[in-house]
Parts: sequence; structure tokens; C-alpha cells
Amino acid sequence: MSLITRTVPRLFVQATQTATIRNVHNSTSNNSPRLAERPDTRVTATLIPGDGVGPELVYSVQEVFKAAGIPVDWESYFFSEVNPTLSAPLDDVATSISKNRVALKGILATPDYSHTGELQTLNMKLRNKLDLYANVVHVKSLPGIKCRHSNIDCVIIREQTEGEYSALEHESVRGVVECLKIVTAKKSQRIAKFAFDYAIKNNRKKVTAVHKANIMKLGDGLFLRSCEEMAKLYPKIEFEKMIVDNCTMQMVSNPQQFDVMVTPNLYGNIVDNLASGLVGGAGVVSGSSYSAECVVFEPGARHTFSEAVGKNVANPTAMLLCASKLLRHVNLPMYSEMVRNAVEKVLQDGKVRTKDIGGQSSTQEFTYAVIANLKMPKV
Amino acid sequence: MALRAVQINSLKWGSVLARAQHTMSAFELQHKTPLIKKQAPIPVAMYGGRNAVTMLPGGGIGPELMEYVREVFKYAGAPVDFEVIDIDPMEESSGAFEYAITSIKRNGVAIKGNIETKSETAGSTSRNVALRNELDLFINILHCKSFPNVPARQKDIDVVIIRQNTEGEYAMLEHESVDGVVESMKVVTETNSDRVARYAFEFAKNTGRKKITTIHKANIMKLSDGLFLETSKKIAKLYPEVEHNDMIIDNCCMQLVSKPHQFDVMIMTNLYGSIVSNVVCGLIGGAGILSGRNYGDHYAVFEPGTRNTGTAIAGKNVANPLAMLNASVDMLNHLGHKRHADLIQRAIYKTVSEDQILTPDLGGSAKSTDVVQRVIDHILQADMRPW
Repeated sequence: MSLITRTVPRLFVQATQTATIRNVHNSTSNNSPRLAERPDTRVTATLIPGDGVGPELVYSVQEVFKAAGIPVDWESYFFSEVNPTLSAPLDDVATSISKNRVALKGILATPDYSHTGELQTLNMKLRNKLDLYANVVHVKSLPGIKCRHSNIDCVIIREQTEGEYSALEHESVRGVVECLKIVTAKKSQRIAKFAFDYAIKNNRKKVTAVHKANIMKLGDGLFLRSCEEMAKLYPKIEFEKMIVDNCTMQMVSNPQQFDVMVTPNLYGNIVDNLASGLVGGAGVVSGSSYSAECVVFEPGARHTFSEAVGKNVANPTAMLLCASKLLRHVNLPMYSEMVRNAVEKVLQDGKVRTKDIGGQSSTQEFTYAVIANLKMPKV
Repeated sequence: MALRAVQINSLKWGSVLARAQHTMSAFELQHKTPLIKKQAPIPVAMYGGRNAVTMLPGGGIGPELMEYVREVFKYAGAPVDFEVIDIDPMEESSGAFEYAITSIKRNGVAIKGNIETKSETAGSTSRNVALRNELDLFINILHCKSFPNVPARQKDIDVVIIRQNTEGEYAMLEHESVDGVVESMKVVTETNSDRVARYAFEFAKNTGRKKITTIHKANIMKLSDGLFLETSKKIAKLYPEVEHNDMIIDNCCMQLVSKPHQFDVMIMTNLYGSIVSNVVCGLIGGAGILSGRNYGDHYAVFEPGTRNTGTAIAGKNVANPLAMLNASVDMLNHLGHKRHADLIQRAIYKTVSEDQILTPDLGGSAKSTDVVQRVIDHILQADMRPW
């Protein structure tokens, strides 16, 4: 059976491919995604399962990839801050990611107290090492998941290499701690441009800058000014600004008004998680972190769900959607669609649901349901 | 006398310019370099290994050629996202055109067809020229290299034409001083001549080319072309490893059609560049093959080598897709995606030189889509699949 599921899609790929090639002859100016898979060649990607339920979710992705015959090889690294003895060295992981240019990553747990006295977390170190400055979380209502709001479709773009995450804290006098929030013009411009370019690329209409410049007039002021300046280069994209407290209120009361949001580090982190909660929680929202060279795909809400380890109840949707995005990025759009369609089909049918979205099914059952729904998309 | 003074100062000037972009503060840049257009650098549009590139299909065969480029890129997995901006040639207002320039400014790189300017009224400037001026694309390079097995007048040509792209005869300063007497100004500036010569010699040094020929008409235009020639001679002294000579434009044209192999790198002012590149393209196989590159300090624009719109053959599926495909290869090289560039370049070479799938302009009978199809087939058969 498994042999059949493995080879059949592959044959389909080849068949449809010949068909698409022939289609070129009457190509006019339509933009239909004619797909260019090469089943005989393979892509290597770095895999970081992460902490908590990460390994279980990653296993689910691997099962689905195996069943679909997706030509991706994984370079797997156990990478963890809470389990430093087993963790692979940062350098190895960073080298692997910059070599492969693409990675799938679970969430890393970060302890509240540092045992070594070091202020930077492993996540931050990895981001800084690879300069993964832009975090993109696409929050979209999924079919078949009941929430307070429907039709949410917004993208939250977060600067994640500076701001409050500078890891510069000190106790100047006993009982007085200063924590430095760093904002630079260069990085603010860079993230603002990223947001606008993202909007252009994905046909979005509006960019909202989230800030608190009324209080932090210099720090957030610089960020806001950089966004305003960049906005002038994009006359076709609407630009607005919103103070972060108002933004969170608007987000829970009227989230449909948002399109693309660009935020400094901490606000982005908060808004990410808030928005994820609106569409079904940490188990269903995918995200990605960009540097100039590479992309790391990871769930959008940073939650390890460590209480569920080994219980087979976590929702693999987020990780599967990440994997789907990864496939699109490495120019395997057909497989990407295949995985995403299967996940959406399972959610839509609603027969197999994990606990977080109101069902009783296990991670494994969900995975098998996705596998059962894998179908080549119509070309 | 005044000219001499300028010439004596020129070396100092050149080094100031070369340094200017990097070491000067914004204030110094503003006040000490009046001739450089002030452009604050914008972060590069490259995210996760993918580049954003502005695409201006232009008029005539432009849109269909761009469609081929996108098709080929899809199969080659080239990591480029195009921002397509259509400019209506009939439109009098320049809204879309302004937007295109803004878009190139933020993406840094563009690929374009020829943009028609329908209006022939005196006030309207050519949009192609306006685009180059606005972005300060002062260099145009045309690498003329013969394809083996393509029927052509001359074989094994390998010439690089470097052309000043923003001034000279294209200054667009014309007026009728007295009824029936029109004066057209040709503007040659020391700074721009210096930039072109410097670029050419650096180019020759970096690509291992041996000889640079300055093309001019200084026997007639003693001051304007004289300045261009003097400047390049001066720069040549700084590069003793590269041979330098000069040739008058009329002789150059004759030499090109009879003995083109004597040339290596050629530099010239604007109008001569336009003429010479069309001559060489004609020798190699016509307007449909070669690609040209335009560079400024901040931006790069890639286009077919001879700037023809091809309105007559638009929509007939006979336009040669090679020029635009070669332009896209240049673009990938510029962006640093060497593997994708090589992949497509090899596929083009195999299609043209080995399989000899040629469009009618090269004496073949294949349709445009046949050529593109064969290029795609070769890409799919290649033993690598970069993404």
C-alpha cells in the first residue's frame, strides 16, 4: 500500500509535467501556476525539531513527505537551550542553514533564568548569526476551525534582531536594572522595505506600522520615521500607523481591517501570538524568518507545548503548513499545493480534529488523515 | 586655455569622484560633488535568496518576450520575483512611467523591453532616455559575441562596446535660434567621460581583456570629442597593462565590417555607441540576439542590445526570444545567481548552436515558442536543479 501511495503521485508528477511542457506552445499572458517539478533531483534542507512537541510534529511532516514522495532530504540537528548537553553546536547548525539556504524549525524553549549568566538566548544567537532579521507570520482563518472571528487575513512582519531583544541589561545600582532597547535607522529601513516589498509581491494593499512613538519618542520615533520615509517609495500601497495598545484592541475587536503590519521586535512578538490566538492557536499558524540569503520556516506562535510531550495530542497543522511554504520556496510548487490542500481538506471535513480545535483525535490520526487526502493538484 | 586647466585637474577630479560615494558624509557629498546625482542608498531587495526585480515589458514584442523569460525562469527555478509595470505608450501623462522609475529605485535592478514614446511633439522626451537620465545609468555595455553555427556576416566576433549613455548628442537641447536654423547641442562633460573611461579600464582589467579603443570624431569636434579622447588617454596612463588606441568613428565603421577581429573593448560617446552597436549586431545576426546592460552607481537595467521595439512582428510568434533571454542571463549574473545564469545560458547555446532552432530573422523557420520550448527542454534535461 505504502509503495503505491509513494509511486503513484510520482507518476502523476511526470505525466502532468509532460502535459505542462506541451502547454507552452499556446502560452499567452496567463499567470496560471504551471509547475516545474523535477522528480529525479532532490533538495536538502536543515531540520531543527526544537523542544516540546517539536519532534512529534516534525515526525508528522516527515511521514507526509515520505508518503507524497517529496524529493527533500533533511539534515537534522537536535538544537536546544534547555538540554545543552545534547544540543548541536550553534556553529554547525548555522553553517548547515547557510549552506542549504532553507530550514524547518520547531520552537526552542527559553528558560526564564539564565544558568550561565548569559543574556542572549539560543534563538537570538541563531538569528543574529544568520541575520534572520524579518519574521513573517501570515495569520489566516482556516476552513473548518471555529473562532470568534472569521475571514482574518493579515501578515505580521517583525524585526527580530534588535529592539528590546538586544540582550543588553545591567544592574547599575542594586535594585535598579536597565534594559537597553536598541533601534537603528539601518535596520528599521530594512524591515520597512521588507514589509513594503512583501506587500508588492503578494498584491497587498496596506501596510500598518505598529509603534509606541508617543512614549518612546526617540526609539520608536526612529522606527516610525523610517517606515514613513520608505512609504514614499511605494505610492500604490496605503500606509498607516497605529499605536501598539490601540492595535491590540483593534486586533481582537476588528481584525479584518489589517493587511500587512510591520512592527519592532517585542510588539511583533506580542501581536504574533495574539493574532495566532484569533485563528485557532499556536497549533495552526505558520511563520518564517528571512535573512538576505536564507529562510527558516517555523510555527508562527512561539509555544513549545511542553505539557503535551509524548501524549500524541499536538496539532501538526502549523508545521505542515510551514513545510508547504518551504516547498514553495524551493521551487516545488506542486508538492507545496498538494500538502496544503490535504491539510485544508482534513480541517474542512472536520472528522479528524486534534484537541486544541475541539476534537479528540491524536497527532498520528491527523497525520494519517492528511496522507489519505494527498492528491496531485489539477494543472 | 580653460580647457587645459580642466584637463590638468581631471585626475584629481576622478579620484574625488571615485571616493565620493564611499567616504564622504552626506553633507560633503552634497557640497563637494555638484555633478553627482544625489541618491541615498536603499536596502537591497533580496529576501531569503530571492530578488525583487522590476520588469518593464514596454511595447511591440516586449510583452511576449517577457512572458518567455518568465516561463524559462519558472523551469530553471531562478529565484527572482518580478514586479511588472506596464507603461501605456499612448498615455500622455507620465504617471506609470514615474512609478516605474520609483520601482527601479527600490529594487535596484530592472529588465526592460523598449518603451515606445508615441508623441512626436517637441516637448516630450523619449522615455527610454528619460529613464537612463533619471537613474543616472551612465554606462551601456554590449558584449557582442558570435554564436557558432548561426548564419552571420562575420564569424568569431568578440567585442565589448562601452557607451556613454546619458549625455553627448542625447542631451535633448535643441532650439531654433533664427527661423530655419536649428541648433542641437552635444554635451560632453569631463566627469562623465572620466567615469566611462575608468569603468572601461577597470572592466578590461577584471575580465582580462587586452585592448581598449576610444572611438571619436575629434578631428572635427575638437573640443567635445577632444575632451572625451583626452580623458580616456589620461586614464589609460593609469592602466599600463591595458593597451589603448583611438580611432575615428567613420574609419571604425569601415574596419568593423571588414576586419572586426582587431577590436577588443571599445569606448565611445552616446550617438556613436548607438550606431556602432547596431553595426556589430548586424554583423553577428541582427537585432534579436544580443543583450545590453546599463549601469549607474546604484542601479542596473538589462535590455535587448539594439533598442528596437519590433512593433511590426508583435503577436506573430516570430520574434527572436534570444535577446531578452540573454538579457535575463545578464541579470541573473548581476544578481549573483551564477548557477541559474549558467543553466539558462547553456540551454540557449545548445538550442541555437547545436540544435540550430532559429527564428526567421536568423534564417531559420522556427516559431518563437519553438525556441523557448527547446530552451526549456534543455533546462529540464540538465543534470542539476538549482532553486
